[in-house]
Amino acid sequence: MTTLLEARYRTVLRLLPAYYRREREEEMVETYVGDLDRDTQDQSRPTLGEVASIAALAVRSRLGAAGAPRPYVLLGSGARLFALAAVLLLAASAVVEPILQLTWSLTRGGAQRRLFLSEFTGHGPLADTVAVAQWVLPLGWTAAYFGLLYGRRRLARTGVLVAALPTLWPLVSSLTGATPIVEPAFVVTLALLAWLPALALCAAHHRDAPAARLPAGTPGVVFMAACVVTGASLVLLPAAADLVWGPANCFVVGALGWLLWTVRRGEPVAPGGALALAVLGLLLLAVRVSAVYPWLGLPEAAGYLGGDLVQAAALALLIVVLAVAGCRELAAR
Amino acid sequence: MTAKNMTRAAFFVLTALADQPRHGYGILRETEELSGGEVQLRVGTLYGVLDRLTADGLIVLDREEVQQGRLRRYYRLTDDGVAALDAEAERMAAGAGAAKRRIAEGRRVRPAAEGPAGLEPPTAPGLAGGYA
Repeated sequence: MTTLLEARYRTVLRLLPAYYRREREEEMVETYVGDLDRDTQDQSRPTLGEVASIAALAVRSRLGAAGAPRPYVLLGSGARLFALAAVLLLAASAVVEPILQLTWSLTRGGAQRRLFLSEFTGHGPLADTVAVAQWVLPLGWTAAYFGLLYGRRRLARTGVLVAALPTLWPLVSSLTGATPIVEPAFVVTLALLAWLPALALCAAHHRDAPAARLPAGTPGVVFMAACVVTGASLVLLPAAADLVWGPANCFVVGALGWLLWTVRRGEPVAPGGALALAVLGLLLLAVRVSAVYPWLGLPEAAGYLGGDLVQAAALALLIVVLAVAGCRELAAR
Repeated sequence: MTAKNMTRAAFFVLTALADQPRHGYGILRETEELSGGEVQLRVGTLYGVLDRLTADGLIVLDREEVQQGRLRRYYRLTDDGVAALDAEAERMAAGAGAAKRRIAEGRRVRPAAEGPAGLEPPTAPGLAGGYA
């Protein structure tokens, strides 16, 4: 007869995917219950540590563990590519935007320099520290990008978690009542753009996952290309620039290149890649729409809106094409 | 999996299987004993390690038994598993040997550098104005 501990443990094992449970459930129950006597089994429950270990195994077995069925292999590969592509966009943006801002501020005379420095001084210790952190911490995306591609996964995980932190500040600040959120949709979608890739990287690029690699090029060359596209889009159309302008343009160029390459090869460049890019595009589109929405109908924002609406349309079109390509890939398997 | 990237958990699981095939619960107990209680694997962690070692060809299923209506799977090392464990053990032994040699050298050098107690060279004038 099943004991209480066994029943509870089997409930925890439901976190695991069905293919894994079919293969391992009986064996894992035997291993867990071990030689505990019946009385103990009827009076105890799985520890939190045990539940956490099963939860971690559940994530890994869904994201391309060895011997996983094809849908999970596809899911794992897609999640890894989603994380890598998003980290690349954010890494390029984290380097290019501060460099352009610094260059502008330091070459336009004393007034511009003082204006720039005033962002970091004179607002009280906490606000000044936060301002500096919001400038410096996003460089974690760059550390994460190179760490991931050079096999330093711990550095990559730390990098993304640190880099994503500043996006939480407006939410924390609002919760504590210090500053009300002016554009909640934008703040939330921007936080999602940082945290979803960060969590995807932590979950999908685990220790047992295949090594991260780019579909083409070396890490340095691809990073430089992303920086050039991001920088060019900021310099050529400064009126349209906001936090998502550079990364979204970089995505449009990269996704177009991906689609052309796929068509030329006649087969997917990486399993699950099209759907992964579609999800990333959707995330960028959500940020784009939430950034533009408050300005709609304001005549003085026409310069800003023109470029951003064109970008939103390009993102939407690419998402549809990528989603179709991704669904065809799924159906073909 | 190479010796370079073998985790502590994987090392103790392979060590637990070095002398005979064992089932999951047997491996848990053996790893705890071998590590002096330092490595206490959760079941979820153990099966993650077993999956990885199986995929890398370092262990294989030896046999299955049913005990009191429950399934027990016994695992054993493959030749590659023995070689990987041996390489990791060699690497750890070499590291431990180097550390011991350095400690011994440090002990030999330190007393000579410090000199005998109470005979430090004078560095300041004594009470009488000269050097003590």
